[in-house]
Amino acid sequence: MKLTRVKSEAVGVVSRQRPARSSREAFLWIAPAALVILFIFGYSVVTVLIQSFRYDGDWVGFENFSIVITDPIFLTALKHNGQLLLAVPVLITLAFIIAIALFETRRGMRFYRSAVFLPYVLPIPVVAVVFGQIYQLNGALNIFLKSVGLDFLAKDWLGDPAIALGTMSSVIIWKEVGFGVILMLAHIISLPNETYEAARIDGAGFWRTHFSITRPAILNTIVFYGVIEAITMVSWVFNYVYVMSNGLGGPGNATMVSELYIYRSAFQNKAPELAAAAAVFLFIATLVLMIAFFRIQRRSIAGTFNK
Amino acid sequence: MLIGLFNERGFANMKSRKAFAIGAVAMALLLGACSSSGDNAAESTPSESAAAFPTEDLTLNISWWGEQEAPGAQKWLEESIALYTKEHPNVTIEHVLQTTDGLIPSFEAAAAAQSGPDIQYFWGGIYSQQPGWDGHIAPISDYLSEEELSHYINAKVESGFQGKVWTAPWYVNPSFPLLVRTDILADNGLAVPTNWDELMKVCDVLSAKKITTIAGGVKDGWFGGWIYSILGGQSVQSQADVINAVVGTTKFTDPEHAGWWTKLEESKNRKCWNDDINSLELYQAQQKFVDGKAAMTITAGPDAPNFVKKAGGDEKVTIMAMPAWSDGPLAGKMGTTSQTLGITKWSKYPQVAADFIKFTHTTERLNAWYAATGSMPADDRFDISQVESASTKALFESALDGAPYLENFIPAQLDADAVFKNVQLVLKGTVKAADAAADMQAVMERLRKSDRKLVDNFTAWAK
Repeated sequence: MKLTRVKSEAVGVVSRQRPARSSREAFLWIAPAALVILFIFGYSVVTVLIQSFRYDGDWVGFENFSIVITDPIFLTALKHNGQLLLAVPVLITLAFIIAIALFETRRGMRFYRSAVFLPYVLPIPVVAVVFGQIYQLNGALNIFLKSVGLDFLAKDWLGDPAIALGTMSSVIIWKEVGFGVILMLAHIISLPNETYEAARIDGAGFWRTHFSITRPAILNTIVFYGVIEAITMVSWVFNYVYVMSNGLGGPGNATMVSELYIYRSAFQNKAPELAAAAAVFLFIATLVLMIAFFRIQRRSIAGTFNK
Repeated sequence: MLIGLFNERGFANMKSRKAFAIGAVAMALLLGACSSSGDNAAESTPSESAAAFPTEDLTLNISWWGEQEAPGAQKWLEESIALYTKEHPNVTIEHVLQTTDGLIPSFEAAAAAQSGPDIQYFWGGIYSQQPGWDGHIAPISDYLSEEELSHYINAKVESGFQGKVWTAPWYVNPSFPLLVRTDILADNGLAVPTNWDELMKVCDVLSAKKITTIAGGVKDGWFGGWIYSILGGQSVQSQADVINAVVGTTKFTDPEHAGWWTKLEESKNRKCWNDDINSLELYQAQQKFVDGKAAMTITAGPDAPNFVKKAGGDEKVTIMAMPAWSDGPLAGKMGTTSQTLGITKWSKYPQVAADFIKFTHTTERLNAWYAATGSMPADDRFDISQVESASTKALFESALDGAPYLENFIPAQLDADAVFKNVQLVLKGTVKAADAAADMQAVMERLRKSDRKLVDNFTAWAK
């Protein structure tokens, strides 16, 4: 940074013009793609925004937002999205451990890698239907638990409002962890062997090696995976909830999430303006989350380089 | 590559990005403003008159439901289409069977696009009223004569609105019969219960023997609405009482509207239901009855004769209304509703759609419906004397003089957000009856704020 500043001060006016020209050139290069993105995403975002301020064609100001934000079902849905975020550290930890286990596995790595990744490529409705059956009160899981004498662990996994959201999280974790494993494993494999050899010569053990070398080296990937999964928990769990709760978010509102609230408002309750207002809230929440994660990422990367 | 997008460099040159973003948003705003759609369809124009039958080649699309509760309906529909198109070679009719959960959302999506089916299936009452209020369907009474419609069972009670009729009843849904396995009761020294207290005693005896009294599944919610109708209907005088609570004249916490929650809670406490009722869908649970694992179940009226057959016929099964827990005028009576077909506002050939619907009400088609499904067509010209099964005949006759089906007279959102939800919770034991009633009232009050036309629409409907 210092070098650059000194150089530009020395070059004077000419150097100040160069970034401007290259910036224009960059915009020209990205313009076609930007226009497509603008049309696809920008248009729909703006349409939703406009709709959120209208009712039956009339401008109603913040009335729709006021209705949505005071709706206990929407607040419950937001709370559940927040609770699902707790699954992100679990996912990261699990993915990291499994990635290391696979990295250290000499035999059959390809098979294990495929096995771990398989859930991620399965269609969500299929997964949700299968787990919906497994988690029935008289389903496969409870039959198994009872057969091995663990009757006290047999629960009404999806029928009991106290545990239904946790049950759903377990399905999401099972499905999503494979993505993290593959991302992290790919990064770990690309790390230089010399670093590990040097660590071993210095006497670092298994845990020390991976905690102090692997973890910081793939921090970028870990944070990226964290961002993706956080966005998933906030705005990408609709399929799981819809299929496993038959579109209700039940029992009661135990598995209601904001996406389902939006869908039901728009397509079942015939209130597209309320769906739009809720979508704006969700958009803002996702945006805040992304900004927060990016800041964390910048800090952690800067911290890694400073070390 | 992806990771690269998220690294530090992506945040460089923030000022240029801001300028770009502002420009982009402005452009998108312009686009959005220019193409802002006319939010709602035009209001219904009751004065429309039927045009001459078109002679050019045309295609009608039907989006329907019903095979789920009236197996054989698809065969009958395809047969009807074949016969009709034989009479009208210029007409092609295609049909799509919708899922239970997908029926309403798929229609709403079509309505938003103002494109899709010409003939749409609707459940009765509010489910056929709402699309009319929203301007998505044309009144069937604009295309069918009053004389013709006068034969369609429940047409005016459920689909009538200020002198018009929105949709045409297709088949009757006696709502909802309790099917009782007399063989299981007899094996356990029990008689068919004739009132609520007797039913509770049956629950006591059977649950002590680890036998399920009534099989049900509320995971998909629908059964909650059925229970509301068959228990809640017993303490009101008519559907007008329910509409009064909807518009706010009375409350859902008043005794005539809240009493049924107490009865539901009592049935849970007396272990009347299967223990896995919360983790099963309705149709999964009903199978327990067929398999002889439950003494009773509640089914859709059109499917009741099939259940009787599957469970061993009239010798082993009896069909009855839910035993009365109150002395209200509707207590102990079978509810009745008709499933209907409507013509969408965007259909290019509404008169052809109406003509096809009328064709399905010819004597030959009415008899064919009964033959194919074993259920009752929604037309009083259907000759009930051809029904041989005593239980089925009794079911049909009870539906002709049935009680209004309450679930069809409340907003669909109240049904889902309050009834479905609280029935699940009361049956799980996590919510008490009084709290369920209070929540239903709270949801209703909130709905009157969020659906700003609700009170006007329901008030107009009640007139």
